[in-house]
Amino acid sequence: MDTFEVLKKIIADKFEKPIDIITLNSTLETLEIDSLDTFDIIFEAEEKFGINVPNEEVAITTVGDVVALIDRIRAKNK
Amino acid sequence: MSSRRVVVTGIGLVSPLGHTPEDFFANLMAAKSGVRHLEADFVSELGCKVAAWIDDFDPLKYFSKSQAATMDRATQFAVVASSHAIENAGLELSVESGERIGVYVGTGMGGAQSIEDSYARLFREQANRLKPYTVLMGMNNAASAQVALDFGLMGSNITFCAACASSAVSIGEAVRQIRHGYADVMLAGGTESLLTYGTIKAWEALRTLANEDVGLAGASCKPFSLNRTGLVLGEGAAMFVLEEMDRAIARGAYIYGEIIGYGSSNDSSHITQPSIEGQARAMRKALEDAKVSPNMISYINAHGTGTKLNDAVETAAIKQIFGIDTPSVSSTKSMHGHLMGAAAAVEFAACLMAIKKQALPPTAHLLERDPELDLDYIPNAGRENVDVDVVMSNSFAFGGTSGVLIVRKFSY
Repeated sequence: MDTFEVLKKIIADKFEKPIDIITLNSTLETLEIDSLDTFDIIFEAEEKFGINVPNEEVAITTVGDVVALIDRIRAKNK
Repeated sequence: MSSRRVVVTGIGLVSPLGHTPEDFFANLMAAKSGVRHLEADFVSELGCKVAAWIDDFDPLKYFSKSQAATMDRATQFAVVASSHAIENAGLELSVESGERIGVYVGTGMGGAQSIEDSYARLFREQANRLKPYTVLMGMNNAASAQVALDFGLMGSNITFCAACASSAVSIGEAVRQIRHGYADVMLAGGTESLLTYGTIKAWEALRTLANEDVGLAGASCKPFSLNRTGLVLGEGAAMFVLEEMDRAIARGAYIYGEIIGYGSSNDSSHITQPSIEGQARAMRKALEDAKVSPNMISYINAHGTGTKLNDAVETAAIKQIFGIDTPSVSSTKSMHGHLMGAAAAVEFAACLMAIKKQALPPTAHLLERDPELDLDYIPNAGRENVDVDVVMSNSFAFGGTSGVLIVRKFSY
């Protein structure tokens, strides 16, 4: 499963956004996603990928940042 | 300085008997029941399978999918009822006015549904993690907080938790906010959505729920009748725009009534059993606050749960206060069920509409009155063309807390 593809789907579905507008460079702010919503997205991604994202200080501004965070955990779990 | 007067200029409802004050009151007058078979996957496991539940509330009509997913049903009810109330009052909101507007919401169990969903996930599905919004959806002040957020209301914001009297207390305390000058407008009322497997089971265990009427499920709650067997749970919300009188007059608002009295007390006698003295105390305090004598009360909307004990105790307490000259009394719970934290608010809507329409809603399903209970309970049929001037609304809670409100037809 491609992380970005899965995340795009989660975001589009949860926030009723057209899937095409979501790119790696989209900032969460422009998508009107706040920090709580970000936890919610990560929670769903955790469920989908069967991973556990620890509480770390990671700067998340864009969709790409979330993808990178999740990819890092997925790679570790391999 | 004379006390500031408080009037009601807006009513907002999400109820088992309609979502506008007009529909709601018309249904009450027609003795229509909102009680019916509950539809849920756990119904077969329940002893009491009826409730006054809402089947025509679509959250996506009011909220985006992501907003709806982060609010408990009780919060959704409160926000929608608030929106209806603001619209009904023709209240224009601004950053400036928002500073002087507070929100008081009564609720018995707050985000009961969200809490139960999370426990089901943990204990039944053996998941080891909960959704990030769990705390925010389950917390008791979620509804009052969300109302403030959605409408930009920056005044005092408190959630009142006094079981079945929660929203009598929230409305009464909101009146004081305006009277005492802390606010010019208050959004006050109550919300409840507790028709979950766990909550219904807990109520069953208390042996207070009614047996389903064999012939007519809608008639299961029978206040004051000989064959009453208990209360029927309901869900919904009612919110009101309370406003300082001069402000309401200045903007030409329609005034449903003036809240002239509020009494709150505790029985301090038993956690569930009501006391005649306690209920009488709350009514007396409300009358004193209103500065009206008992004979000026035209109608009492009773707590009237339909339990053996409540209806007998309340009747005795009313007689203690009013003597032989008691006003007409009805329990609209026979139709909209017991909405717990929202009960007093929904019943207060009935009182305001009784004043507006000069009509009294009945106690439904009162075919054979308990011979021990001898007041005029307005059996089965509403009364039109009645002089309705001053109305009392009673709410008596588990825990012993009472909240009594008195509202008068407005005259300057």
